[in-house]
Amino acid sequence: MLIRTPRRSFLLLSSLVALAGCRRETGESDQTFPRDQTVYVGGFQWGPPSSFNPLATAPDWPCMVGNSHNLFYETLLVFNTLTGEMQPLLAQSFQVEPDAIRVVLQPSARFSDGSPVTADDVKYTFDLGRQHKSLRLAAVWPFLQEIEAGADGKSVRFVLERARPNPLVVLDALQETYILPRHVIEPLLASLGGDMNELGKLKFDERSIGTGPYQMHSYSAEKIATVRRDDYWGNDVFFGGKRAAAKYVVHPVYKSNDHYSVALQQGRLDASSSFIPRIWLKEKKGVRAWLDRAPYFAASAMPVVWINHQRTPTNDVHFRRAMAFAIQYDDIRELAVSGYSEPVKPGLVLPFGFEGKYYSEEDAQKYGASFYDPVRARAELAAGGYQPIWGPNGELIETRDRSGARVRTVYIKSPTGWTDWEAAVRIIVRSLRAVGIDARERFLDASLYWPAGYTGDFDLLLGTPASAPTPSKPWSRFDFVLTTQDFAPEGQKVYRNLGRFNDPKAPGYVPRFTELLDRIPTLTDPAELLAAYRELNVLVMVHQPVLQFVYRPDQFYEFSNRVWQGFPTAKDPFLPPQIPSSRLGTRMLWQLTPVGQQDLAFLPRGTQP
Amino acid sequence: MRSWLRAHPTLRHIVGRAGWYVLTFFVAVAVNFVLPRLGDANPVDMLMARARTNLDSTTARQQEEAYLAEFGLVHVDDAGAVIRDAAGKPVPTSLPSQFLRYVSLSAQGDLGTSILQHPRRVSEIIGKALPWTLALQLPTIVVGWLVGNLLGALAAYYRGVFDRVLYPIALLTSAIPAFCLGIILVYVFGIQLEWFPAVGGYDDGMVPGLSWAFVRSASYYYVLPFVSILVIVVGHQAIGMRSMCIYELGTDYVKYAKLLGIHERKILLYMFRNAMLPQLTGLALALGGMVGGALITEMIFSYPGLGLAILTAIQGNDYPLISGCTLLVTVCVLIANFCVDVAVGLLDPRIRASHGAAQ
Repeated sequence: MLIRTPRRSFLLLSSLVALAGCRRETGESDQTFPRDQTVYVGGFQWGPPSSFNPLATAPDWPCMVGNSHNLFYETLLVFNTLTGEMQPLLAQSFQVEPDAIRVVLQPSARFSDGSPVTADDVKYTFDLGRQHKSLRLAAVWPFLQEIEAGADGKSVRFVLERARPNPLVVLDALQETYILPRHVIEPLLASLGGDMNELGKLKFDERSIGTGPYQMHSYSAEKIATVRRDDYWGNDVFFGGKRAAAKYVVHPVYKSNDHYSVALQQGRLDASSSFIPRIWLKEKKGVRAWLDRAPYFAASAMPVVWINHQRTPTNDVHFRRAMAFAIQYDDIRELAVSGYSEPVKPGLVLPFGFEGKYYSEEDAQKYGASFYDPVRARAELAAGGYQPIWGPNGELIETRDRSGARVRTVYIKSPTGWTDWEAAVRIIVRSLRAVGIDARERFLDASLYWPAGYTGDFDLLLGTPASAPTPSKPWSRFDFVLTTQDFAPEGQKVYRNLGRFNDPKAPGYVPRFTELLDRIPTLTDPAELLAAYRELNVLVMVHQPVLQFVYRPDQFYEFSNRVWQGFPTAKDPFLPPQIPSSRLGTRMLWQLTPVGQQDLAFLPRGTQP
Repeated sequence: MRSWLRAHPTLRHIVGRAGWYVLTFFVAVAVNFVLPRLGDANPVDMLMARARTNLDSTTARQQEEAYLAEFGLVHVDDAGAVIRDAAGKPVPTSLPSQFLRYVSLSAQGDLGTSILQHPRRVSEIIGKALPWTLALQLPTIVVGWLVGNLLGALAAYYRGVFDRVLYPIALLTSAIPAFCLGIILVYVFGIQLEWFPAVGGYDDGMVPGLSWAFVRSASYYYVLPFVSILVIVVGHQAIGMRSMCIYELGTDYVKYAKLLGIHERKILLYMFRNAMLPQLTGLALALGGMVGGALITEMIFSYPGLGLAILTAIQGNDYPLISGCTLLVTVCVLIANFCVDVAVGLLDPRIRASHGAAQ
């Protein structure tokens, strides 16, 4: 009698497990989002969603700033990262004039409530940034004098600030600023007493009024689901009257890269921008990337090691160039980032893609130091008066300076848990120590990492300056690294030029950096532009304000063709490598077809909408 | 009142314990409030970093100050403008004034707004995550406790083959780290065999709701996380109970009962009742602490719950969310402990006897 109880328990447990384990999938009819009508995307949302308000500081997918997602709200223009050109979205065309940028709106562009998108909406949206300095949009106003809405209601002139003419910053804003309906936002703001902070607290989590092809379906801590708007104005303009193939676009919220990787392999996710190490091992499960061989992804960003120029010994150009020569770049590429990078070249210009035309291999060979060359690294150290002291087993004991004093250890700070960066830092430390530079790793909790960067509390620190691919590249990368516009000493916060390079009040100040940064945005002649970029890049190579160590894509464009097919690749680059909710990647939603229904393709492959 | 309490020793015991728990509550709330703030970190930094802006420093500083003011971390004047010192820096509020603000708002049921998940309310975050945490933890703890204790008691009483098989298995399962077992389950049953989903709490194609289809889907996704915790809990409980029962078996009352020829089922019941007391305390503590979430399980299975919310709140110095979660955990642990104290006081004749003797 007594023995029967555990037997019963065992039986009960076993039956429960067996019952659950009979691979009973939820029936298709039970699904709110039928699989063949739903595109699952991932890699942008890493925590429970909190706001879909485009005027909040950090709204969630698909309203987040930086990646120009355009499912709910749309921008005037969209930047093609393959060609470096701006393409129409809410704006039909644009023209850069000497003192202004003129934009003509699509005649048929409408908000989801049916009201047309007018020049007044555009002016109102941008003017919000002029009135409310806490908005991200405020950053463009130092470069704008005013915005003129045309009498026709469909043209807008962005008049450039005469004192600081910079069309590049304005172009960046045109391709990342969501155009909002004035007739909705203005009364809402007025009802809150004009308090933008209060407006920023509204979640906009119901079907808010936007121009995009999708709207909110539902959201929870586990996923954000959007549903197609069949009356989207762009169907006629860009897609010959066809609707997007996917009725739903859903972003599940997973908690790590591994989960996105597993979901891609299981066909539960269609496209994701998450770091999957050794992606070639996932090919047999149907996971693909932009390229089918290394570097697999199209790089558009340049992570760097920020160098603190307010401290010794990193304020010494010999020391900095010695570090640049010492780093084993190939090891970082192969071991830390799974080969997902082109070989690194000196300077702040990407030597390929739309920036490649500004890169000069001749300059790099002549002035650059970002090549692994331990002999030249030691020579630079010797030229700076640094002398490594080696132990009996060849290990570095310490480094001494010209006076014989011990040079303090330099620490490389990086966020803990960012595994690719941790691996890169270890390789950099090993490389530096091998040539006689006393360097060590210092991995920090993210909550300490960011303030360390802003306040300059570091010797060396990993970061990615101006990572988004925008029309202002490579100028904005130079500007982010070199600007002295809001220079502040260590201890006070700055959000650009974290290394405090080129102190305007210091004796070694090089004004030519600032002159070139101010001049490049105003240049239109290609030859002049090339000359200016070359000169600026040479200055960077000579002064080595940061250490480049790898390239990375803006988005790790990975897809699975288990459920949907027709994703663009490097062999069939009809759209750039972007997740189908971001930039031109959204247009993929009209091109994809469920597997097995390829005959129903709405548009022939290779057709550029 | 005093004489009345004197006449009722058990009630006196309960009231006395309640007093201590109220005191403990206030101390715990103060410690929970102060500890995260000792690091001197600026929680708004993470929010600013998340915005990943290319803002110029002036605009960025304006944004940062607006948030610092909203979270009560800097002084503002009557008009809501940030008060600055001579150097132009915002004047931070002192810890005691932040504490008073927190206590006064919490007393009104306002746990504040999360910093990292701005503008979500802390109560909303907890409210959304707590059902998942309870649904995962409560059954695993209760079922694991029942099954583990039963198996432990049987193994101790019958010994023989049953014990020789069960004991090493229980040792093994209790020694496996939770993350290790979770990863093995995901790899074998989720990725290789594809019997169970490897990540998530329910089918991605569904919206949570009270439908049979959703319950079925959630149950299917529930299996691996449930098993990953259950196996370990059963192992722990079985070993603990087995040891306690072996100790009880050697006691005089069991030998005497056997000599009297009392039915073995009754002897087992006596033994089980005595051996169960420390296990009961363990159960109550586990139930009290369960609202803290099953962090490792949540991370491995990407399962919804409060554990990861607490972890990210701590990592990001999200003070309001940390305070809200620790308040919840504190209240639950204290209530559970109080219930154990009361239950043991009522059930255990020895404690009743000791109170009587004290009189």
